Amino acid sequence: MLAIIDYGVGNLTSILNMFKRLGVEASITSDLATIRKAGKLMIPGVGHFDKCMQNFNASGLRPAIEEIKAEGNTPILGICVGAQMMTRRSEEGVENGLGWVEADTVRFQLDPSLGLKVPHMGWTDVSAAQPASPLFKNIPEEPRFYFAHSYHFRFYGEDLSTATCDYGYSFTCAFQKGNLFGVQFHPEKSHRFGMSILTNFAAL
Amino acid sequence: MKRIRIIPALLLINDGLYKTVQFKNPGYVGDPINTVKIFNEKGADEVVVLDITATRDKKPINYRKIAEIAGEAFMPMAYGGGIKTFEEAQKVFNAGYEKVILNSAAAENPALVGEIARVYGSQSVVVSIDGKKDWLGRYKVYTANGSRSAGKSPDVYAQEMEAAGAGEILINSIDRDGTWEGYDLALVKMVSKAVSIPVIACGGAAGMDDFRKAITEGGASAVAAGSMFVYQKKGMGVLISFPAQSLKV
Amino acid sequence: MERPYQQCALTVMDTIADPDITFDENGISNYYHAFKKAEREFVFTGAEGDRRLKDLVDKIKAEGRNKPYDCIMGLSGGVDSTYVAYQAKQLGLRPLAVHFDNSWNSELAVKNIENIVSRLGLDLYTLVVDWEEFRDIQLSYMKASVVDIEVVSDHGIFTTLYKLAKKYKIKYVLSGNNVATEYIMPRSWLFNKMDHVNLRAIHKRFGTVPLKTYPVYDTALKKYCHDILQIRTVTMLDYMPYNKKAVKELIAKELDWRDYGGKHYESLFTKFYQAYILPEKFHIDKRKAHLSTLICSGQMTKEEALKELAQPLYTPEALKLDYEYVLKKLGLSTSAFEAIMKLPPKKHTDYPIERGVFDRFPVLRPLKPLARMIRKV
Repeated sequence: MLAIIDYGVGNLTSILNMFKRLGVEASITSDLATIRKAGKLMIPGVGHFDKCMQNFNASGLRPAIEEIKAEGNTPILGICVGAQMMTRRSEEGVENGLGWVEADTVRFQLDPSLGLKVPHMGWTDVSAAQPASPLFKNIPEEPRFYFAHSYHFRFYGEDLSTATCDYGYSFTCAFQKGNLFGVQFHPEKSHRFGMSILTNFAAL
Repeated sequence: MKRIRIIPALLLINDGLYKTVQFKNPGYVGDPINTVKIFNEKGADEVVVLDITATRDKKPINYRKIAEIAGEAFMPMAYGGGIKTFEEAQKVFNAGYEKVILNSAAAENPALVGEIARVYGSQSVVVSIDGKKDWLGRYKVYTANGSRSAGKSPDVYAQEMEAAGAGEILINSIDRDGTWEGYDLALVKMVSKAVSIPVIACGGAAGMDDFRKAITEGGASAVAAGSMFVYQKKGMGVLISFPAQSLKV
Repeated sequence: MERPYQQCALTVMDTIADPDITFDENGISNYYHAFKKAEREFVFTGAEGDRRLKDLVDKIKAEGRNKPYDCIMGLSGGVDSTYVAYQAKQLGLRPLAVHFDNSWNSELAVKNIENIVSRLGLDLYTLVVDWEEFRDIQLSYMKASVVDIEVVSDHGIFTTLYKLAKKYKIKYVLSGNNVATEYIMPRSWLFNKMDHVNLRAIHKRFGTVPLKTYPVYDTALKKYCHDILQIRTVTMLDYMPYNKKAVKELIAKELDWRDYGGKHYESLFTKFYQAYILPEKFHIDKRKAHLSTLICSGQMTKEEALKELAQPLYTPEALKLDYEYVLKKLGLSTSAFEAIMKLPPKKHTDYPIERGVFDRFPVLRPLKPLARMIRKV
């Protein structure tokens, strides 16, 4: 069983829909017992970083999830702000991140002459690091994903990047640290490419 | 080279899909669930669903129906029509949509844009602007499915909406809607020059050439179309299609 | 008492497919013999076929001169209608292509139609039937527990064709029906597609949504098409060799046509109907008829047919997805659908059916030839 963590934010229905389509048993839950029993966790997130952190902190789920994370046996995947939350902080707000990875979430600093708009919204080609991380195994050709964000990860120290993409400059859009995974894009809204990512995650 | 989002814009009246010409004469196109399923299999970049009579008829949003529609979509989905409050927007998000589209409500209550953006992020709030030339040839904003003049110029209005917290503007030309005559590039350009957020061009597209022009000449970030995705060609029968090739500009 | 199981010596028709099947002294079923008879009577290949086809085509062209279209045809995106469209174009005919959209189209179907009409330069007319109405009739048929739920689509398609034929004064309907690939079909699996009385009766009894846009082949239209316009159905595929495999390859190459992996699977409902409702509720596996036809026309061996029959109609995963989708579209809960599946099957004739005036009033029967004469004048 795969638990999609419900802490009061995000478009959880879409994630559940895709797992249903893939024939993967998953449920949206805020129940501690269910989360503890789950083989995999997904932390979604959308909207303001502070709002997400505040909700997560207030949900009462954080200690248990941090425990599960510390044990390291359960794959955890963060999506969009859910992945940004795993960093130490975000330029979007003042709340502390979870600090699970040595990275910050920073705002796009784009050269105005490029004429690119923020938020970065739409489909963007992604290049997976080689050899491919487990999430990017057997991904369809010309992988591209749906993005909708104004902030992105910036790593310090150990390079945990498993995929990058280009929007004004190249940035890390997916990372992995052991059983901890984060993606900036929305696999649940990225057709067959997203299905491939979620299939890989479910198979871990 | 950037991938440009190509977005089928689907119009809902009650539970059916329709296509209008200049916001009038709705022609029946089919069941939204199956149509969105087809667009999903075709790999559409994003889909916009607009209930065009919800505001006029003061109808409650049919959350169950729109959730059933979104259930077939593994691509970004935006819904607009009849959203007046934060709670209603919240229910739309919970139904499986990434974005809400505000039109009349944004004009009447711009604070709603910010209220939603603060919780769900600005990328999740699209303000749609229906523009039309007045008798002097000046562009004016209309709301309530083109029936009410907001008395403003689209560029000024778009700036107000950006300031209010909108993450994206959908600019639709009432004059070009359903005409296959190409986008109103002057209108698209007017709006995209006025704001720094992405602008989606809508109204009049007949082919890939129009898409390209909306980006290169109109300065839009994405393109939306109705007729060309639901009819075989102008004057011909209903046939759902979507370009096989990605648009890169 | 049930008869012991028996399968045709040559085809895969058996006592399950048709409890009234008969066998000759060699164990060959009536279906094989009926096929061979039909083949002798209706199928013309070689020089004879060419000659007959040319005569027909010349006639169609001559009568259609000065009209926007000289013939009309239904286009589903399936093999038969696709090949008809291709042949019609090759023969220089000017068909109006008509698609009946009942909101169950698969993506493959619409893509095929798109490719066909654009490659062949055909005009496409689509009747999009109001989904709320169509769903209501489909549900009515399911609740009526009759076998031929596809009447609802077929009746709509034919009526749309006839209505357009009337509008454009088109006298010829090109049909994809053919002996070589689809002749065999037990009568008990189907019902008269054009019986508007039966359709209305079933809908009146079980439906709730008034029929405003659904096209009904009523008596007036029937009379006009039969007697005034005298529409002729042209089964052109009977005038040429029709090998399914070869045709699929040809239309894939020429028209970018893609295969659905099942006869009539262009509609998601038809797929579910043939692969789930029919076998589960009515114990009908339509493949037996399709494959038997292909055996009879020498396009397949019995061994190949048996091998294909051994394949499940659905994988469990695909069934689950389609099951959920069909129920969602029809607005049925699992329990409501299962209740329908458990209803004892009924005959179409358990509901009112269309009878001619002479059937209703046998006393008038002697006047029938006279009436026919008067109508012609």
